[in-house]
Amino acid sequence: MTKYEATIGIEVHVEVKTKSKFFSSSENGYGKNANASCTVVDLGYPGTLPTINEEVINQGIRAVHLTHCKLTKKMHFDRKNYFYPDNPKNYQITQNRTPIGREGYLEIKTSLGLKKIEIEEMHLEEDTCKSAHRGTVSLLDFNRAGVPLIEIVSKPCMHTKEEAVLYLEKLRETFFYGEISDCKIEEGSMRCDANVSIAPIGSKTLGTKCEIKNIGSIHNVGIAIEKEIERQTTLLEKGETLKEETRRFDDKIGDTILMRMKETGNDYRYFPEPDIPMITLSQEQITKAISLLPMTPDERRRQYQEKGMKELSIEKILANKALSDYLNRFLSTPLNFVIAANLLLGDISSYLNKNFLSLEKTKLTDEKFLDLVKKLEVGELSNKNVKDILEEILEKDSSIETIMKENHIQNITDVSFVEEVIQKVLDQNQESVKDYHQGKDRALKYLMGQVMKEAKGTINPKIANEKLKEMLQNQ
Amino acid sequence: MNKYLDLTIDEIHVAYLKKELTPKMLLDEVFERMDACQDLNCIITATKEEAYQRAEELSKEEVGGPLWGIPIVIKDNIITKQIRTTCASKMLENFIPIYQATVIDKILKAGMIIVGKTNMDEFAMGSTSETSYFGPPKNPWNPIYITGGSSGGSAGAVASRMVPFALGSDTGGSIRQPASYTGLVGMKPTYGRVSRYGLVAFASSLDQIGPMTRTVYENAVLLNVIAGFDEKDLTSSKKKVEDYTAYLGKETQSLKIGIPSYLVSEVVSEEVRDVFNHVVDLLKKHGNTVEMVEVSYLEQAVPLYQILAMAEASSNLARFDGIRYGYRIEDSKNIDFLYEQTRKEGFGEEVKRRIMVGSSLLSGENAKKYYDKALSIRDDMRSSFLAAFKDYDLLIAPTTTTAAYPLGQGLDDPLKGFMDDILVIPANMAGLPAMNLPAGFSKENLPIGMQIIGAPFQEGKMYQLASFLEKMLDLDLEGGKRQ
Repeated sequence: MTKYEATIGIEVHVEVKTKSKFFSSSENGYGKNANASCTVVDLGYPGTLPTINEEVINQGIRAVHLTHCKLTKKMHFDRKNYFYPDNPKNYQITQNRTPIGREGYLEIKTSLGLKKIEIEEMHLEEDTCKSAHRGTVSLLDFNRAGVPLIEIVSKPCMHTKEEAVLYLEKLRETFFYGEISDCKIEEGSMRCDANVSIAPIGSKTLGTKCEIKNIGSIHNVGIAIEKEIERQTTLLEKGETLKEETRRFDDKIGDTILMRMKETGNDYRYFPEPDIPMITLSQEQITKAISLLPMTPDERRRQYQEKGMKELSIEKILANKALSDYLNRFLSTPLNFVIAANLLLGDISSYLNKNFLSLEKTKLTDEKFLDLVKKLEVGELSNKNVKDILEEILEKDSSIETIMKENHIQNITDVSFVEEVIQKVLDQNQESVKDYHQGKDRALKYLMGQVMKEAKGTINPKIANEKLKEMLQNQ
Repeated sequence: MNKYLDLTIDEIHVAYLKKELTPKMLLDEVFERMDACQDLNCIITATKEEAYQRAEELSKEEVGGPLWGIPIVIKDNIITKQIRTTCASKMLENFIPIYQATVIDKILKAGMIIVGKTNMDEFAMGSTSETSYFGPPKNPWNPIYITGGSSGGSAGAVASRMVPFALGSDTGGSIRQPASYTGLVGMKPTYGRVSRYGLVAFASSLDQIGPMTRTVYENAVLLNVIAGFDEKDLTSSKKKVEDYTAYLGKETQSLKIGIPSYLVSEVVSEEVRDVFNHVVDLLKKHGNTVEMVEVSYLEQAVPLYQILAMAEASSNLARFDGIRYGYRIEDSKNIDFLYEQTRKEGFGEEVKRRIMVGSSLLSGENAKKYYDKALSIRDDMRSSFLAAFKDYDLLIAPTTTTAAYPLGQGLDDPLKGFMDDILVIPANMAGLPAMNLPAGFSKENLPIGMQIIGAPFQEGKMYQLASFLEKMLDLDLEGGKRQ
């Protein structure tokens, strides 16, 4: 393997999140009954014409912005002509000559440092319908026909599976956080093809490339690339020549298998789509589209760091966009993000997961959350208290105060009261105080127990504990 | 025997208002004459049942605007809901659409009654209507002659006076040329003036729907109804629709009129030139200026048209694959076999020829060499036309090089039809409005027409000149009428 260097290029299709499809008024949704959301336009009926969903163009502008591409302000669509049963008009409306974005990049953090992965171009196009094969019959579902897609083509600038995987993760995170796509590979809203070739290290020309189609997860892209590099290396070492071919990744065997040899000169007979006039983007539309972008993941990282969160915790929050969006509502409040993040990732997440709920479906108002975190911070509530009453907090309209009262939780943080209680306990337990000074740890625990007992559990244990140690020193 | 069908639509309207006529009575006359014209083969599908049903519904309403209760036939490449739409092709022989074209919405809203779908060249590809799967329509003026095409059935239906109105479509002269051969007023509006939604596409960047009528006034009335922006067609214009009838009868004494010199060159027969020159004299006599004008690339219009039209057609017709609608072969071994056999059996020779040429024109490097080049020369041609309109109000020219010729004459020569359209194609290429107006007759007493070409969205001015000439020429155009 050391003799060769791999070169990897990646093509990604993402389904664009919009209410309706690209060129018709039917709903853009996943999980409907077959053929429940399609019109005569999606069916490619004779006489029908495409319309344009402006929201797709706006999403395209945002995608271009997020990937640092150059925006094509004057663009048109092209027809890509080929016969296939899932292609209703037997041409696909796409962008061949004027892709909406060109020459961008995404930055990834590899084990060797930061690296810019260059993007060749990105274009808008329509999805095909979905076919299902049942014995000798093939069925077509047109719900997906005309769903807007963005295709992002990287330059062949990656050399390891690590880079490829990191690039895809970065792309997914960027588009998901940009609310451009759901990027769910398992539902097909993100699809990855990888082009892999190898050549002797130092070689100025690229080797023969093979394309691996439609890999089912980012993890598998890594495996597929690794296996493909192995396969090509073995062949070259045997002295064989490689041929251009299209392969697919088989989940079960964990390896790529041949689909077809690459046909030479695929002729798509591209020409400008005459049914859609040239589109000229105004500065106003561009500015507005970009202004509606949610905060990027990198910006969130920066802000969370400023709020004192640790990297591990930040990444855990970012892995769950709903939680990050929730936290962002408090960016301009005095909320303690460290405690808030722990609470969200821990007890609150467990509750939500257990009950299949989202935060919006609970009774947790912003005010209650602020109050809850504050009480944890100052010690009016302990972690244990929170565990006990979290369900009530999330399920009842009542304020935290009310719930605490109902549960007889009273963590008195008034130091003079705490000192008074401790002094009383110490006075009554001189033996234990002696034991403590002789180094018996158990004595501290015993005294602490007595303090809590004396206070009937109404004082904050953390404060009591600290105060107790302090007062013992002075005894 | 017919009392009302041959009246002007205003007279019919008055008869409706006076309650001396009902839509049903008028339909009786329509279908009686349609039966008498069966040999002309202008109608692919007569919609008798639907028409009477609609007449019944209309009779329960108040009489509406000028087109209320007026019968119309529709070229069979315009989609009609629940009414078979064949494009005169075996491919769509049994195709019953589940939606309808925007123009159909509009004419129905105006109260019109569809009485039939008309014969045409298969998928509008041809100039004589002889490529129809259902056999050619015949010219009512003399049934051994062609009606022209591709809107031949629409032309024949109005020329025989079975209906006062027809809708046609014009990609490279398909309204104006048959209107010329059958003595009708036929308007191809500015590209974008009428919605193409529901017109089965032949060449998307050239196709336009338009009215074919007995008189200029009736033409303007129908264009009033069908013109306008349609959100379902991105190429339709948002420009406000004028009342075209307001232009009729206006004085035309000091117009500046240009004649593109190539359109009156030796490609035009003497007979047609004589008729045209007579009109030119008439215009001059009435104080208008008429001058020759040079418009670039007109001599290249036919090959340019062939490139654009066939390239677009090859893509537009790809959807007819036997999978979702239309003709499909019985047994298919595999998907490629299904495609190949379905298209082989479903399309006629001319359609297949154009798909093959069009595919080749877009293939590989050809797209740049031919299609892109043609697009750019088209832009230059349009600019040259627009420059001419800086100096001239309107342009005029003959519509066809000869009068209609006998059926079967051009069948051996696939290029003849294109050459017939040499005078009408430029307006499509430049996206300009152009109309045919009957101007005289041939030795065989067949109609000969002339064209009026306007600047974009100048249909009103064209109607103004047309109505003036119509009055001055005062031709008897009922030579095709059947009793």
